[in-house]
Amino acid sequence: MTVRPRLVIALAVASLLSVFLVYTALAGSQTLLVSVDQLAANTSNAKSRTVQLTGTAVRCEAGPCSRLDAPFVFTLKDDGSSGTVRVRYGGGSVPDAFKEGRHVIVTGRLRDGTFVAEPDSLVTKCPSKYSGGGDGGSG
Amino acid sequence: MATFGTAALFVTFVLAVYATGAAVLAARRRDRRLMQSASNALTAAFGTTLAATFALLIALARHDFSIRTVADTTSLQLPWQYTLSAFWASQEGSLLLWLTVLTGASALVMFQNRRRNRELLPWVAAVLGGITVFFSGMLSFVSQPFQQVSGPPPANGAGLDPALQNPYMVAHPPMLYLGYVTVAVPFAFAMAALISGRVDSRWLVAVRRWTLFSWMCLGVGMLLGAHWAYVEIGWGGYWAWDPVENAALMPWLAATAFLHSVMVQEKKGMLKVWNVVLVTATFSLALFGTFLTRSGVVGSIHAFVQSSVGPALLGFIAVVLAFAVTLIVWRLPILRSEHRLESVVSREATFLFNNLLLLAFAFAILWGVVFPILSEAVRGVQSTVSTPYYNFFLVAFGLPLLLLTGIGPLVAWRKASVNSLARTFRWPALSALAAGALLALLGLGSSTAGLTAFSLCVFVTITIGLEFARGMSARRAIAGTSWPRSLVDLIGRNRRRYGGYVVHLAVVLLVVGITASSAYSTASEATLGPGQSMRVAGYTLTYAGLTRSSDTNSTTTSAVLDVSRNGNRLGSLSPGQRIYPVEGRSTNEVDIQRSMLTGTDLYTILQGISKDGRSVTVKALVNPAVSLIWVAGAVFLLGALITIWPDPREARQLARRYAAALAREA
Repeated sequence: MTVRPRLVIALAVASLLSVFLVYTALAGSQTLLVSVDQLAANTSNAKSRTVQLTGTAVRCEAGPCSRLDAPFVFTLKDDGSSGTVRVRYGGGSVPDAFKEGRHVIVTGRLRDGTFVAEPDSLVTKCPSKYSGGGDGGSG
Repeated sequence: MATFGTAALFVTFVLAVYATGAAVLAARRRDRRLMQSASNALTAAFGTTLAATFALLIALARHDFSIRTVADTTSLQLPWQYTLSAFWASQEGSLLLWLTVLTGASALVMFQNRRRNRELLPWVAAVLGGITVFFSGMLSFVSQPFQQVSGPPPANGAGLDPALQNPYMVAHPPMLYLGYVTVAVPFAFAMAALISGRVDSRWLVAVRRWTLFSWMCLGVGMLLGAHWAYVEIGWGGYWAWDPVENAALMPWLAATAFLHSVMVQEKKGMLKVWNVVLVTATFSLALFGTFLTRSGVVGSIHAFVQSSVGPALLGFIAVVLAFAVTLIVWRLPILRSEHRLESVVSREATFLFNNLLLLAFAFAILWGVVFPILSEAVRGVQSTVSTPYYNFFLVAFGLPLLLLTGIGPLVAWRKASVNSLARTFRWPALSALAAGALLALLGLGSSTAGLTAFSLCVFVTITIGLEFARGMSARRAIAGTSWPRSLVDLIGRNRRRYGGYVVHLAVVLLVVGITASSAYSTASEATLGPGQSMRVAGYTLTYAGLTRSSDTNSTTTSAVLDVSRNGNRLGSLSPGQRIYPVEGRSTNEVDIQRSMLTGTDLYTILQGISKDGRSVTVKALVNPAVSLIWVAGAVFLLGALITIWPDPREARQLARRYAAALAREA
């Protein structure tokens, strides 16, 4: 076998292997990201599986959101409508930027009408050096 | 000040338009005076951009809250260093930083090449001018940094996000931007080589230091950002595969591939198409990273504010790609390799495999970043990929890359024999196997990937060590110098090669630090009353009580934890919660105890304080060898500086090659 065909085969194998790896890795680790309204509408069976839920934190039941330690319960509002869902954040770290009006992503599952979030899954879209400053200066 | 800054930016735009047009005309007419005029316009554009930059800095320093970016990102209580670093806290300011670096780099390129690369320079000026037109146009018409607030100026600003009030945030963004933006220089030279048809290795030589500089800044910038996340964000980690982090990693991986493949083109005249593709990929990925952080298309812990610059950036990336691909296709006939790959066991083949793995890893990351967009387009609902996806590829592509890091530099060019390979790698391979067995006996077999990574690190370290030992022995035999002197001479005589080895050592340290701190980390969480203790990985933490302290713009409540191990007191840690009244925010302030001997961190987070103040919830992590990651950053910087440092011997060799090439053309 000359070098060129051998190299072509090696490249083809590498490419196929890459595609395979992408496929297998994706098949095992993708999570649905839904809005509050999509969760309510059970889009892609979101009500019966673990999903990432995104929306705006509007109110925490025990007081100001920025001063709370887990566990606590808050209301998450859809970004495009008035739809809301109750979220129970049972434990783990609370991002520094978490407060009312903040866009958040939380991972968990709907149980009896309340979205039960996994520990350490609360993520805020916090302001950063890249922020547009259009959110009252705080992102 | 606002009018002055806005006017300066508009003048930059006009100068960039003129420079681009004049450079194209100069190239077509071979008009040196017109080229000089274009060069002067680009240099002047740097001057006007600098004027706008100073105008914004002065507005920040004077708390001029009539300017929206100042009012949105600073306050009267903000310490002065963060008042100035708020320059890049806003989108407009960070774009202005982009433009400042871009015009500065363009001016420097014009100055460096005033007497050389005359065939390439007009097209280089045209490409850099075109990029400047885009960014100065955005700052003049779309995202204006000197926009006024509506109504009367507020008495105080909204303040800076507390997470950004950290020394690392003063250095990290400019460093990253230096990397992102200066990639434009290699791209401009590559495009100039294609347009002018001068596709030999001269353009590579002209951009070698620029590429190394961009790559170094991106690497150091990422590590600074990782350290900021570690000490500021307070979850115990330093890398979360966030789209913004990935945005910096992708061009760095492509640039790393390019730095290796240029050696093949310089030495063997091969991979010419590949190299222009890599430069295009690096620059496009740098632009894509900027797009990701602005467009709001992908969720991130960073702010992805919907803004008008997103579509403009996407359009610009499309133009750049279309432009580059058209040129590459047009020039394919003259981009043929001068030599063929003779063996898959050769240095050029090793570099090619290294390139494929680096690019495959970059593609896997890109796929993960855009997957939510693609899944929404196909299925109508977004899906995301998480840490396991990225970690899978880190292992799948990272471990073979680590192996090639040891093999590549020692394999012969053209063709290597099995016997020579056995001779070269016998001791490194045996050492790696012995180290793997020893580590397994010590109980580190819980992570197969971790054990493999450690073994490969030993392999790479031994190969590099043997290279240095052989080189120093040869120097001593020739010059009869001492060992330290022979080391200095060895590095000084071939900075590129031995600087590269130092960078490879940094990679080893990085891999050990990442592997140990991620695969063998221990965490524990407990609610403690005064006098109560918790244990984590052999450490005992005893809660002693709360303390309070105040700063100019914040108040901190900390839990004092006495630390001991095996009955020996090791000091105390005070993780806290800090409240910023102006910003209306609170942050976790972690406290870390670092072992200088093992590089292990005892990392503590105050998760909560009970309402009556009698108990605290503390999370403690023991991150083994995590300090090696930051040491790796310093070693990486040292190695990169060695390779970048001017070498008169190399300059003379290049001058001879230039003269020979020019003689052939004549």
